[in-house]
Amino acid sequence: MIPRSYRSMESRLHINRRQFFKAGGAAGAAAGLGLLAGRSLVFAQNAAPAKIERPKTNIDEATKAPKTQHSLPGPFPGRVVEVQDPKCLANGRVDAALIKSMFEKGITGLTGKNLKKSFALFFEKGDVVGIKVNPVGPGLISTRLEVVDAIIDWLTSAGLPRRNIIIWDRFDYMLKDAGFTAERYPGIGIEGLQTMDEAAAEGKTKDNSRWLRPDGTHVSADNFDKDAFYWADVEGPKDEPYLNQHVFNGKYSYFGKLLTRKLTKIINVPVFKNAGNAISMATKNIGYGAVCNTNRLHQPLFLDVCVEVPAFPAVRDKLVLNVTDGIKAQYEGGPGPEAKFIYDYGTLFFGTDPFALDLVCHTLIVKKRKDMGVKVNEHPRFTEYLRYAQKLGLGIGDLEKIEHVKV
Amino acid sequence: MLKRKILAACAAALAVASLNGGIDIPPGGFTPGWEKSEGLREFPGSRLFDYIDGGAELFLEFGFKRLSLQRYKKGEDELLLEIYEMESPEAALGIYLMKCGGETPIKGVDARNSGEPAQFTILKGRSFIHINNSSGREKLLPVMVELTRRALIGIPDERAANLVGRLPGQGLKPGSACLFRGPVGLQAFYTLGEGDILDQRGILFGVAGSYEDPQSGHFTLILIDYPDDIRAMAAYQNLAGHLDPYLRVLKTDEKGLVFEDFQKKFGTISLRGARLELKVGLSSKPPSPSRP
Repeated sequence: MIPRSYRSMESRLHINRRQFFKAGGAAGAAAGLGLLAGRSLVFAQNAAPAKIERPKTNIDEATKAPKTQHSLPGPFPGRVVEVQDPKCLANGRVDAALIKSMFEKGITGLTGKNLKKSFALFFEKGDVVGIKVNPVGPGLISTRLEVVDAIIDWLTSAGLPRRNIIIWDRFDYMLKDAGFTAERYPGIGIEGLQTMDEAAAEGKTKDNSRWLRPDGTHVSADNFDKDAFYWADVEGPKDEPYLNQHVFNGKYSYFGKLLTRKLTKIINVPVFKNAGNAISMATKNIGYGAVCNTNRLHQPLFLDVCVEVPAFPAVRDKLVLNVTDGIKAQYEGGPGPEAKFIYDYGTLFFGTDPFALDLVCHTLIVKKRKDMGVKVNEHPRFTEYLRYAQKLGLGIGDLEKIEHVKV
Repeated sequence: MLKRKILAACAAALAVASLNGGIDIPPGGFTPGWEKSEGLREFPGSRLFDYIDGGAELFLEFGFKRLSLQRYKKGEDELLLEIYEMESPEAALGIYLMKCGGETPIKGVDARNSGEPAQFTILKGRSFIHINNSSGREKLLPVMVELTRRALIGIPDERAANLVGRLPGQGLKPGSACLFRGPVGLQAFYTLGEGDILDQRGILFGVAGSYEDPQSGHFTLILIDYPDDIRAMAAYQNLAGHLDPYLRVLKTDEKGLVFEDFQKKFGTISLRGARLELKVGLSSKPPSPSRP
């Protein structure tokens, strides 16, 4: 299936229409890029440079919340395990059994324990476990169903009932497009935090009844928890297309109730792909996937959101495992899917520390980009957010302190 | 009677063409069994964000007019045609060079292109075209070629100004040249500072290419030609005054400056009349901006 749209969650590293034009075309784009790492902005038009400070956020509330035994970075800070087997994609076919075996090698390689003991390290049998996938590029580069199968096999063989497993993403229609359906996963929950009416978003219909209630609120508004939010001093646009896609405008990005009230643990399964000169992997999959009203955050906060959203208890104390799916990978053109730059990589990465995991994967994708002749900008701004995470005690953002193990 | 029929046919064709702003979208049945699977979708100007919100800014920076999108289907197989109409042939070339990767031309496509079974990337006149085959099945290659052929028919073959020709040929790595018209494009390969740091004002094209030089090793050369010396001087002063904090100035003179970057590599910025010339990624420290 050809992806219907490249919009959505994968617009994160870039600015959106409103931001672009509000800031004056190309200069607006520069604003987005200039503030990639939350640094100040200079418009160069031979006028006095205008500085825009990084907007305030409620990160202090997150850091004040007491940690638990499961809080990030989990039991293996800085440890990243890589399992590679090119045969898992031999002759264009996916070898599900081999992927399962790779997954098991990765888990045991990460923990140093067998599968059952590894399960016990992260879960209890009464847990409700959410598997956060990335369904954005269906048919090209979304989380592979076979990887999710392997995770479910592990969880259920350790005694977790299927009804206690929920595959989730922010958008329900994307899950369906990527093959995460009740038919494919009987007994497993499939939940999007929200819906979005694509036809209305693309201007193909003026009928908003599929997403907008008569009282002017989004039909998915009740799926978000007004008591758990990421606040940033940036207003979301107030127009209907924005509301359709983002459920709320204003300055609050609410966490999905799925995370705050239902799930007790989360396994994060992003894909291995670039986002310009940065990456769109573990921390972005969860950072922009757990809350609504995110487009407003791209320009002023960008990658900082990948640190600050996971710093809140709804993620920080539940995200116990990250598996970066590099069975297929994309080295250029991301975060949207670009077939030309997608390649067979046959690799899975494991870590409890998503920031260390992202730093390892960032380093690897930069090498791949160079090998493929892509001009790469290695400016420190593209990894500054990982060092920020280390400062907050959420993970390791220094390659020297990372243990990258190949099993 | 025949003349009247011909005139009517021409009028109908013109009407279809004008509906699509001159772009002739291949009809269903362009090759046996392949039909349109949904109506034509169009995204003019800023509405491009509705299609590629998160990647549209590069198109807009180069100068974008409209995207026409058409799906075709035969059984389970599906192809997606995307025609991006740009402001000028140079704008289309700029996007093409940014997007094509290492060029692998497909036989039978009568325009500059790079392709493989999952995607063709094509440049003709002011149009930048993608043909997507997400299944990646090689058997669809002949259909993709035919779809391309039909899509190209209505597109005038305007030549872009030879901006890439500004780069000296000696030492230039094949396939490394690219254009940029502002900070989004520049940021793809280097960060000199925030905002429109090279004062391109969304109008001036810059050109860049990678070089291998026996003395300097590998480096990237960036050139921007301004309308006159005064504009070039103003751009230089703006750049020098707002250089990225990760770039440490080592030496300055009236013609430019030498800096060291975050990877302990070196760069030069040289003002040469109405031209700004930058070399970045130099492995050894140049003695002066004018003699890198």
